[in-house]
Amino acid sequence: MLSIKNLYSGYGKLRVLYDVNVEVPKKEITVIVGPNGAGKTTLLNSILGFADVFSGKIYLDDKDMTGTPAHRIAQLGISFVPQLGSVFANLTLKENLIMAAYTLPKKEVDKRMEQVLEMFPIIKEFFHRKAGTLSGGERRMLSIGMGLMRNPKIMLLDEPSTDLAPLITKEVMRTIKRLRDEIGLTVLLVEQMAKLALDIGDNAYLLVSGQIKFKGKAKELLQHPELSKLYLGIKE
Amino acid sequence: MPGWLASGLVYASGLALTSGGITFLYITTRTFNFAHASMATFGFYVVYTFVALKGGNPYIYFPLAFLFGSLLGIIVYFILNRPLLKRKANEITLMMSTLGYDLILLSLIQMYCDYLTHTYKLYPRRVTMSVYDIQIGGMNASTYFAPITAVLIITALSLFLTRTKFGIAMRATIENTPLSEASGINSDKVYMTSWVIGGGMASLGGAVLAMATTGSPVLGMNLIANMFAGAILGGLYSIYGGLFGGFVVGLAEYAIVYWLAESVGTWVLGYRLAIPLLIMVVTLLFFPRGLAGIQWRRIFKSLSSKKGEAS
Amino acid sequence: MKKIFKFLLRRDVLIALLVVIAFLFILLSSGFSLVSSILIDASIFTIITLSLNLETGLTGVPQFGRVIAIIAGAFAVGAIPGRIMALFMHLPAGAEYANDSVNYKVVPVINKLLETSPALSILVLIMSLVIAAIFGAIMGWITSRPAIRLKEAYLGISLLAIGDFLMWVGHNWEPLVGGTTAVFVPDPLRAFGVNRMLMALIMTVVLAVLAYIILEKLTWSPFGRTLKMHRDSDLAMSVYGKDKVKVRTRSLVIGAALAAVAGGAYVIYTGTCTAISFTRLNWTFWPWAYMMLGGIGSNTGVLLGVLALAIARSMIVIYRGAVFGFLMAWGIDPIWLEYTLLGAVIIIIILFLPQGLVPERTETILPPDRVKRIYEKIIKRE
Repeated sequence: MLSIKNLYSGYGKLRVLYDVNVEVPKKEITVIVGPNGAGKTTLLNSILGFADVFSGKIYLDDKDMTGTPAHRIAQLGISFVPQLGSVFANLTLKENLIMAAYTLPKKEVDKRMEQVLEMFPIIKEFFHRKAGTLSGGERRMLSIGMGLMRNPKIMLLDEPSTDLAPLITKEVMRTIKRLRDEIGLTVLLVEQMAKLALDIGDNAYLLVSGQIKFKGKAKELLQHPELSKLYLGIKE
Repeated sequence: MPGWLASGLVYASGLALTSGGITFLYITTRTFNFAHASMATFGFYVVYTFVALKGGNPYIYFPLAFLFGSLLGIIVYFILNRPLLKRKANEITLMMSTLGYDLILLSLIQMYCDYLTHTYKLYPRRVTMSVYDIQIGGMNASTYFAPITAVLIITALSLFLTRTKFGIAMRATIENTPLSEASGINSDKVYMTSWVIGGGMASLGGAVLAMATTGSPVLGMNLIANMFAGAILGGLYSIYGGLFGGFVVGLAEYAIVYWLAESVGTWVLGYRLAIPLLIMVVTLLFFPRGLAGIQWRRIFKSLSSKKGEAS
Repeated sequence: MKKIFKFLLRRDVLIALLVVIAFLFILLSSGFSLVSSILIDASIFTIITLSLNLETGLTGVPQFGRVIAIIAGAFAVGAIPGRIMALFMHLPAGAEYANDSVNYKVVPVINKLLETSPALSILVLIMSLVIAAIFGAIMGWITSRPAIRLKEAYLGISLLAIGDFLMWVGHNWEPLVGGTTAVFVPDPLRAFGVNRMLMALIMTVVLAVLAYIILEKLTWSPFGRTLKMHRDSDLAMSVYGKDKVKVRTRSLVIGAALAAVAGGAYVIYTGTCTAISFTRLNWTFWPWAYMMLGGIGSNTGVLLGVLALAIARSMIVIYRGAVFGFLMAWGIDPIWLEYTLLGAVIIIIILFLPQGLVPERTETILPPDRVKRIYEKIIKRE
């Protein structure tokens, strides 16, 4: 569904990604792992229009969407759950969901909200509370719920394990898996916590210092004997 | 009602509106709107022109003053603020650009006053609006209408910001611009709306202020420091903080000056700028997040829990 | 030949040429006295703007309270030298000195004495300027205290409000400088046998040249480099062991002392000290416009900016009838266009010319021709 071909991108004069090729197949969870500073967030930013694409192409359903400005991305059916600042803390949960579906007509919004509340009963519980009063895990669930409000074709998640206790992180990963199983959601998941992500993933890429060092099935990468060496960029 | 309170309420309401506008513009566009000074003066002159030339009481022209201010705000957004925001200009540059606009507006106001004097034989440089006021129960109606205007604006804003989709979108953009853009909210529209609201509040505030002080081409310029003091006291986090901060600064100024004038002599009147200045400096040095930053809930909790223990 | 042509087409050179032409025009049409009054004004504002450039352009402190130091100098010269003279001459020198009915009689007596003695006049002049500098430095130090804690726009607004407040104090507190009625300032410029205006011109130009030399030396000294470090990244500067507070304070004190001298010179030149005339418009905002037009960070730019705008201002005043006379048909006084000019200059510079006319020269570690030779050596090797 999403194809990234020969991507060179960065920010202004700063070059981050070099010749990156990624395929995100439909209804599967594709995981990008790698150490800090590898460029994982930049990869997502390149899709979302927050980074500068120097050369290369990004295709969504075979249509070229490279360089689409940020506020049009939502309309293309791409949903983004950021690492930080993923919810509006000063707004209530209800308001958060309304904002997530900003570009949809009211009937759609009501319908989607019902569906999301069904999937995430915890949101219903705190519906009128300000999002900032929620715990980290609850906020993560809210942000995924917000991501679903637009019935997206594909959901991009940036390090959803950030600031979460291991138990909660497992819960979050389980939820993502549920989304693929129950509604056939296509997921592009970027994570530093390699094992947790690769456990639920279908396809995996290892990104180190701006380059793809491994591409294949998630199970393979998890069991790859050289995983730690590749991860740390150690040469023989 | 004592005289100082009657005028003080009017002045405080006017200051509340202007400080609120300054706060709103700052939290949305990071711009300290120096042009608030002349925008306020413009609002006053809109009301004065109609009252002097067409008659009637000032209040029926208040909405017109608001609209005029919104127009002034839109102008500055498109010509100055938007290009600078796109360039990611720093706060000083944003503020300086509004200073330039303020000076041009001031020159236009002065020229307009010349024109009024020459063509209509008016005296627009020293206007006591209370002359045009209506009386309620032996007092100037402004004592009631000014706070009512402020309350109406607060209510309207509150409804707009919590009950309408775009209002919620504005709050979302203020808090987290990248996330709101990713949600499809056009921040350009948000900024423009904030200038419509902020500009309108500036001019409306000026019209209200003129009911309490002398109307002149430098009405706004003389009070801009007070307006900023109110916004800083409010904390520059929420528009309600700004409105409240402006109100407190205004009322405090009137109350303290009146009390001092009674006890030590009327010479203190010349130094009244010391009060908002002091409030501003104290706020910035000791509780820079202003009133909005004080943990009101915590204070109430600790107070009420103490009560619980005592019984 | 081509080089000369290119040189002439540079923005700053063009403006400088225009300035010279304008001066000649004014000289030929209105005479020397007008030209000299423009030059005196420009000299005083050169000092002020240079001091502003030091604090804002070089150190990065948003000095929206430039009028504070000017007031310090002006009020000090208005209040103290006259009283000292009066003391020596057994004239009233206390609070009543500033009372208009007293002052109006006392100062002319002082002036009569000064007129007779060039030595005494020079003494009074120097003493006045030194007193101004001292009070300026004190004020600079006082305003540096909030400058430690406050940032950016908040600092700017606070300084602006303080400046306003000081003006009102001067306007209301009669014993200082006469309150609503001004005080006269003893005039040391009459004792030298030449036109008073000419003396004022010499005084202010000399001061301006001195200020320029001082500032240029400062700018290209290690202290100047430290200031630029503070402007560009005060965090990095602290990491290198420079005390941010000391740097800021020093800059603000020097700047204030300079501006105060300008303020003192101004009241000596005009012969009176009127508190209400020290508005933020004239003494903070116009210097900002001069600095922005000239180029923030460049002392030479300041010179150019002051001259260009001062002439433009004067031309509005002088020729308002001729060019803008049509406005008077509606009863409008074209003098207001001065504000329009100020606002327009600020806006145009911010939008189109943020570097100003003379962009700041970056300091290279090695002189450019040496760099060129090294580069050529490398090319040859390849």
